[in-house]
Amino acid sequence: MSLVAEITSAPAPAKVSPHAVRGGLKAGQRRIGMLLLTPAAIAFGLVILYPFLQALALSLFEYTLETPAPRFYGLGNFAKIATTPDVWQAFVTTAIYVFFTTTGTLILGLGWALILNQPFRGRGLLRSMSLLPWVLPSTVSAFIWGWIFNSRYGVLNAFLLELGFIDMPQAWLSTSTGAMVAVIVTKIWLSIPLFMAFFLAGLQNMDREQVDAARVDGANNWAILRDHVLPHLRPVLIVVVVLGVIGNLQQFDTIYALTGGGPVRATAVLSVEVYRRAFEQWDVGFASAIGVLWVATLLPPAFLYLRMLVKGA
Amino acid sequence: MKKFKSIASTALVAAGLGLSGPGANAADVSFMSFSYAEEAAKPSVEALLKGFEAQTKLTVEPLGYAWGDMQKNIFLRARSKTLPSVAQLSERWLPSFANVAGLVDLNEVYGKDKLASMFTPDALAMGQIGSKQYALPLISGSIGLIANKAVLDKAGLTKTPTTIEEFRSALVAVRDKVPNSVPYTMATKNNGSILLDFMIWTWTFGGEIIDEQGKVKIGNGDAGKQALGFMVGLMKDRLAAPEIDRPDARRLVAQNASAFFFDAPQARTHLRSFSGQGPAFDANVLPLATPVAVAGKEPASIQWGHLLVQFSADGKAKADAPASQFISYLTSDVAQATFPLEQSALPVTKSARANPKVTGDAFLTAWAKAAGNPRRNEVGIWPNAAELTQIIGEEVQGALLGQKSADDAIQAMQKRLETSMANVNKQN
Repeated sequence: MSLVAEITSAPAPAKVSPHAVRGGLKAGQRRIGMLLLTPAAIAFGLVILYPFLQALALSLFEYTLETPAPRFYGLGNFAKIATTPDVWQAFVTTAIYVFFTTTGTLILGLGWALILNQPFRGRGLLRSMSLLPWVLPSTVSAFIWGWIFNSRYGVLNAFLLELGFIDMPQAWLSTSTGAMVAVIVTKIWLSIPLFMAFFLAGLQNMDREQVDAARVDGANNWAILRDHVLPHLRPVLIVVVVLGVIGNLQQFDTIYALTGGGPVRATAVLSVEVYRRAFEQWDVGFASAIGVLWVATLLPPAFLYLRMLVKGA
Repeated sequence: MKKFKSIASTALVAAGLGLSGPGANAADVSFMSFSYAEEAAKPSVEALLKGFEAQTKLTVEPLGYAWGDMQKNIFLRARSKTLPSVAQLSERWLPSFANVAGLVDLNEVYGKDKLASMFTPDALAMGQIGSKQYALPLISGSIGLIANKAVLDKAGLTKTPTTIEEFRSALVAVRDKVPNSVPYTMATKNNGSILLDFMIWTWTFGGEIIDEQGKVKIGNGDAGKQALGFMVGLMKDRLAAPEIDRPDARRLVAQNASAFFFDAPQARTHLRSFSGQGPAFDANVLPLATPVAVAGKEPASIQWGHLLVQFSADGKAKADAPASQFISYLTSDVAQATFPLEQSALPVTKSARANPKVTGDAFLTAWAKAAGNPRRNEVGIWPNAAELTQIIGEEVQGALLGQKSADDAIQAMQKRLETSMANVNKQN
C-alpha cells in the first residue's frame, strides 16, 4: 500500500468533543470579536455615523428659522457656497491656520523631544511637566493665552513695555495678523506635548551605537539629525503630520474661545464658519453643506492615515 | 447565555428605574432663564421661585443659561422637542422665535383686554408680533448713556455733555487727566454689542439702518458715514479702545477706569457687584441723555426689556396651567414690586410703576428722564437679525480697526444688508 493510499484510507480522527463543530474555534473567536466590537460600533453609529448622515441629508435641504421643517433644496446650498466669498475665505483661513500650526508644532515638538532625549538631571520631571498643556482643558488654555495677549492687562504687553520694545500697550487680538498668530501659538503650545511624546518614543527606539559610530566618523549634530535621526523617525513623522493636519482642520474650541473668529473674519476657520451659520444664523442646511465640504478636506489625510494603519497591521 | 440574559435584564430594569426617576420627580414648571445664570441676579430669581412655590405649592425647575447661549439652546430644545414650559428672552429675540412650534399666544390665555388693563402699553408692545401676544414683559427700560461721576470729577468736569462736541471734549479731558483710562468704553469686540452703539450714534446723526418696511437705509445720505466716522475718530484719538465688550465696559466703569458707556439700567446692579462697594457705588452712576448732534433734538436710546414666553405641545394653554400660573406670578404686584427694582429696571405693570418704591427710586427717575423715549431696535425685529447683526458688526469693526474707511464700510454694509433683507422680503 502506497503511503498516499494509507493516508486516505486511514480512519477519520475522533472529534475532540461531542459538541465540537467544523471550524468551531475560529467561529467562536469571530463571535467574541463581534461581541466586543458591538458597543464601539453602536457608539460610533449613534454618535458619529447617524449625525454625519443626517448632516449629509440636511445639506440638500433649506432649513432656516423661516422654514420650521426642512424643505428640499437639491444642490442649492452648494450653489450658494459657490457665490459666497466668506466661505471661500474660510477655506483660505483654514489652510493658513493648518499649515502654520502643523509646521510649528512639528519643528518645536521634534526639537523638544531631542532635548528631552538627552541624559541630564531632572529630565524625568521636565518630561512630566511638558505634558501640562496637554492635560489642561483646551478652553482653559485659550483663556490663559487670551489674558497673555490682553491689550490692557496682558503679560506680553507688560513684558515688551518693560524691555522697551513698545511704548504703549498693543491690542494684539484686534489686528488680523495678531489674532491669527495668537490662535496659532496657542494651538502649537497645546499640541507640542503630543508630538513630543510620539517623537520621544521613536527616539528611544533608536540604536545609540549607530549615532556613536557616526560621531566617531566625524559627523556633526546636523549630519546626525539629517542622515540618521530623521530617516529613523520617518514613519513617526508621517503619522504625526497626518494626525496633526486632521486635528488642526477640526480645531474649534481654542479659536472660538480666544477670538470668536474675529476680528472681523480674520480667524474664522471652517469650524467657526459652520458654527456661526448653524447656531448664530440658524441656516442649518447651508451650514451642513459647508460641513460636507469641510469633511471632504479631511478625507485625504484620513485616508492616508488609515492606509498606513492597515499597511502597518 | 442564561447569565448574559440575567445581566441584561438587570441592566434594563436599572435603566428603567433610572429613567423613570426624574420623570416621577419632574417639576411642574421648567423655567429657562439667563438671569438665573448671572451672579448678580441669581438670588433674586431664586427668591421669585421660592415665592411662587410657597404660594401655589407647585414646583419650578430653573434652567440657567448664559445670555449669549440662550437663543441657541432654545432652538436646539425646540428641534429636539424638549422645550421648557417658560423661557426668559431679550426683547430683540422675539421675532426669531415667532415660528417655533408650541409658542403660546398669551392673548388666548389671559385675554387681550385684561393684559391691556394690567401692563403699560410700552412694555406690552415688546411682546407683540402682529396681533399676537407671544410674550409678556418681565422688566423694561432702555439702553442709554451712563456716566461715572467719580471719573468725571477726577477729570475736572462739572457739567455733563449734552451735544456731541461737548461729549468729545469731555472724553479728551478724561483721557488727559485720568491715567490708564478708557474715556468711553464703546463696544468694539462683540457684534451684538457693536450694533447697539452704532445704532444709537446713527440715530443721533439723524440716520436709520433699516426702516419699518425692511428697506435698508444706512447707505442713503450721510448720517451713517458721519456716525461711523465719529466712532472711528474716537478710536484714533484713543478716546475709545479695541477689545471692549459690554462686560468689559461694566468692569472698567466699576473700577473707575472709564467715564461713559451705553447699557441698560440693569447696569447699576452689575456696577454695584463689580465695584465691590454695593449700593455705595450708586452715587457714581449717572444716567445721561445721549448727546445730540444739534441742540434741541431728541436724545437717542433703544427700547430694552426682558420677556417671558410660554411653550406647550400644541401652542395652547389654559390660565390655570402651572406654566400660566408661573407667568401670572412673575407679573403680579408681589413679584413686580421687588424683582425689577433689584435688577435696577422698571416694572412692567401699571400698578407696580405707581408703587412709591419705584417712583421714589432716584436712579430710575433719572433714567426715565434721560432715556425715557426709546425707539424700537430696528435690526432685532427681523427674523434674520443674527445675520444683520453680524454684517453690521463686521463692517463697523473693520472701520474701527482701520481695515477700511468709514465710507467704504457703510457702502459695503448697505450692499450686504440689502442682500440679506432681499431674502426676508421675498419670503414675506
